[in-house]
Amino acid sequence: MSEGVIMEFPSSYKYLNLIDLVCGEIVKEMGFSPETGNQISISVIEACTNALEHGNKCSPDLSVHVVFRQQTDRLVIEVCDSGEGFDFTEYLKHIPDPSDIHHKRGRGIFIMKNMMDDLRFEMSPHNNGIKVTLEKMLCTAAVAEN
Amino acid sequence: MKVQTRERDGVIILDLSGKLMGGPDADYFRDLVLGLVEKGLKKVIVNLGDVKWVNSTGVGILITGYTTLRRNKGDLKLLHVSSKIQSILYVTKLNLIFECFDSEETAIRSFEKY
Repeated sequence: MSEGVIMEFPSSYKYLNLIDLVCGEIVKEMGFSPETGNQISISVIEACTNALEHGNKCSPDLSVHVVFRQQTDRLVIEVCDSGEGFDFTEYLKHIPDPSDIHHKRGRGIFIMKNMMDDLRFEMSPHNNGIKVTLEKMLCTAAVAEN
Repeated sequence: MKVQTRERDGVIILDLSGKLMGGPDADYFRDLVLGLVEKGLKKVIVNLGDVKWVNSTGVGILITGYTTLRRNKGDLKLLHVSSKIQSILYVTKLNLIFECFDSEETAIRSFEKY
């Protein structure tokens, strides 16, 4: 079984709060622990921040598309920007050591990789933008309860 | 992000509220810390108690403040770090860099060795 919540917002930081609130409700409803819920929420905000900053270059005319898919054993989140795309494979090759204080930026992907069970990047099927897919598995006990 | 600045026992406390993330917040916070350094105020506590959330860019802003102060023989410590911010610091191992406190008194006293 799969249920979906679809959201679309203009490239502005102010809408991230809304995404955070919706994400918080979904993870609570699915039975994720508060700690895991925090990890999912942090990762979704990182993906959305990347989409509006790197994908859409903060253009207010471009939107970010977010889909939360609630499956029986996992939560799948897709975040798509509407930008012109970029070579994310090169980007992924050069993730800096997050504890190196000489790097001001570049920790977002590391955080998502470590907080989620799966993280995938691909070209969006709808436009030239990038689609990021994040997955978090429910623990066995929570799956049984659902 | 909003910042209220106050001083207690020679320690500057920056009470942050709202969201700590990219955009203009980075320049604002960098200039604020540089201004403190120019005035010789190098013991700084950043109170995150009213910060709703931080992303990785926001953590980068804190790092910039930390490195600026450390380069000038000062320090930046964190107060009232939420569980979400703690998760980010832990996964990036920046919990080994930033000293975090739950009590303002304890945070202020930690500067006595300077």
